[in-house]
Amino acid sequence: MPEPTPEHHLPGAGRTPEEGAIADTGMGGAMDLATAEGETLEKTPGGPQGTGPSEKARSLWSDAWRDLRRNPVFIISGLVILFLVFISLWPGSITWLSPLKCDLAKAQEGSQPGHPFGFDGQGCDVYTRVVYGARTSVTVGVLATLGVALLGSVLGGLAGFFGGAGDSILSRITDIFFAIPVVLGGLVLLSVVTSNTVWPVIGFMVLLGWPQISRIARGSVITVKQNDFVQAARALGASHSRLLLRHIAPNAVAPVIVVATIALGTFISLEATLSYLGVGLKPPTVSWGIDISAASPYIRNAPHALLWPSGALALTVLAFIMLGDAVRDALDPKLR
Amino acid sequence: MLLEVRDLHVEFRTRDGIARAVNGVSYGVDAGETLAVLGESGSGKSVTAQAIMGILDMPPGRITGGEILFRGQDLLRFKEEERRKVRGAEMAMIFQDALSSLNPVLSVGDQLGEMFVVHRGMSRKDARTKAVELMDRVRIPGARERVKDYPHQFSGGMRQRIMIAMAMALEPALIIADEPTTALDVTVQAQVMDLLAELQREFHMGLILITHDLGVVADVADRIAVMYAGRIVESAPVHDIYKAPAHPYTRGLLDSIPRLDQKGQELYAIKGLPPNLMHIPPGCAFNPRCPMAQDMCRTDVPPLYAVTGTDAVTEVDESPGNRTSACHFWRECLHG
Repeated sequence: MPEPTPEHHLPGAGRTPEEGAIADTGMGGAMDLATAEGETLEKTPGGPQGTGPSEKARSLWSDAWRDLRRNPVFIISGLVILFLVFISLWPGSITWLSPLKCDLAKAQEGSQPGHPFGFDGQGCDVYTRVVYGARTSVTVGVLATLGVALLGSVLGGLAGFFGGAGDSILSRITDIFFAIPVVLGGLVLLSVVTSNTVWPVIGFMVLLGWPQISRIARGSVITVKQNDFVQAARALGASHSRLLLRHIAPNAVAPVIVVATIALGTFISLEATLSYLGVGLKPPTVSWGIDISAASPYIRNAPHALLWPSGALALTVLAFIMLGDAVRDALDPKLR
Repeated sequence: MLLEVRDLHVEFRTRDGIARAVNGVSYGVDAGETLAVLGESGSGKSVTAQAIMGILDMPPGRITGGEILFRGQDLLRFKEEERRKVRGAEMAMIFQDALSSLNPVLSVGDQLGEMFVVHRGMSRKDARTKAVELMDRVRIPGARERVKDYPHQFSGGMRQRIMIAMAMALEPALIIADEPTTALDVTVQAQVMDLLAELQREFHMGLILITHDLGVVADVADRIAVMYAGRIVESAPVHDIYKAPAHPYTRGLLDSIPRLDQKGQELYAIKGLPPNLMHIPPGCAFNPRCPMAQDMCRTDVPPLYAVTGTDAVTEVDESPGNRTSACHFWRECLHG
């Protein structure tokens, strides 16, 4: 325990007697008495808030991580998502067929050895197609979310931080985008695209999705900006970029992460919707939406061809929404 | 004179009208001197400080007149980038609530070190070493271990010490402390105030202490400037003002201090409320609440009178070092 320097215990030092006398008419006398006691009180190691040796320094993120690890919703959804990511990266590890190798002779046949989910209308193995479909869904979902989060938080964050005319213009632009019906917009915009890749779909999602994140990032930045510590950092000479990146962004990012996680699920279902309608991904890309669309005419003869990709889609979307919920609970316990 | 504020005017344009927060404030502080700026909430003391630091929110704030001379140079003519270099390095500010003035997601070591990274271009590692030194300097026990801790893990007094350390980091010539002890326990208040006064003496800094606590002022201030409705109503060396106030408002403030010999009696309070800054009363702004108010107080704005021992009447504009009062009847107040 470091000892306070002796002069600190003499609050009267350096003062003229006259000033000392004046002080005693006010609160000065009482405070002088308090000095000696209060100082020793506060000198307990670790401070009065008692951070014991077991409790390590905790930040918002390590706190959130501790909460998450104990949350069964997070564990279940996390495992599902890990599995999805795994089969997206290495679909060959649990399948042995090609999703594009089909045998019309076996069209609509049910489950049989080596083909647990049966065959679809074109005689393709449903199990293999469901596994490969995960890759498309995860790719589209992750890339669209990354694009939306990046574009939305940069634009919204800057607008919230600087305010003024740029902010007003951006807010009106987001209003316009909110007014566009997603499915109708997709039908119109994507029907003119002929590309067979996932990029037009991702681009469309980013185009329509960024205003939501932008709004949240803007609101979050405005809230954080009003904190005293931002003012304090400014008073100590921090530049705009330092204020924004080091002081505001880390405190404002939590709501963006939550919304982006939930949005990931909705992007996956949006991809399936657009593919189902024939304007999203196109064969030979393997997608749950395409398979659901292809199987729906045979729903009475071969329901399995419809149910397996639908089930996979529902499970995936559910997993991401559950993950988003868990993350929100952990990052902002007040919202629970 | 290290810092001289001359005839500063600040207003806020709001939806309801123009609030005139600062109406011609002039004060100065020398190296090694402590000026206490005293006044109720809304008297303009914090706004003046923010204008000096250049952290006023503009808009809605607007500096409509005056000069802020720092080492003879008018800060209001500086470019924002030049201004930023002054902040933190040449002048620094300590805020009222240390918990909200520290970034919750950065460790205190990071925040202290940031001063050196931003202004001195030090490496993170060197900055960390400096942070430990600073924490030792403000007598935080176990600085080496606690440098990685987050603000919420410290007690109120310790947090304010960290704020002081941040402000002192680059040994600025001027410190503005905006109610540095208001959020603290009475016992801790005295320690923090003593620490501030001690560091000020050691580095021979100018200190502007903004407060509404007359007890704190008596201990540490050299001069007092009393503000009311955006003006300085009385300015004097500290013992003069305690001996005999030359403005009825100052007298009211002094009478409002609870005294031990008054036990059981009702506490004195200045009647009425501070004026609405959008409708400052004509004449002397204090006239509706003043026990000495005469007819001329309702019509004539009192100039700053030089308060002298003799009855000689001289009007002064701003000559720091003297004693001034903005009351037509300062002589009656002084003797009554």
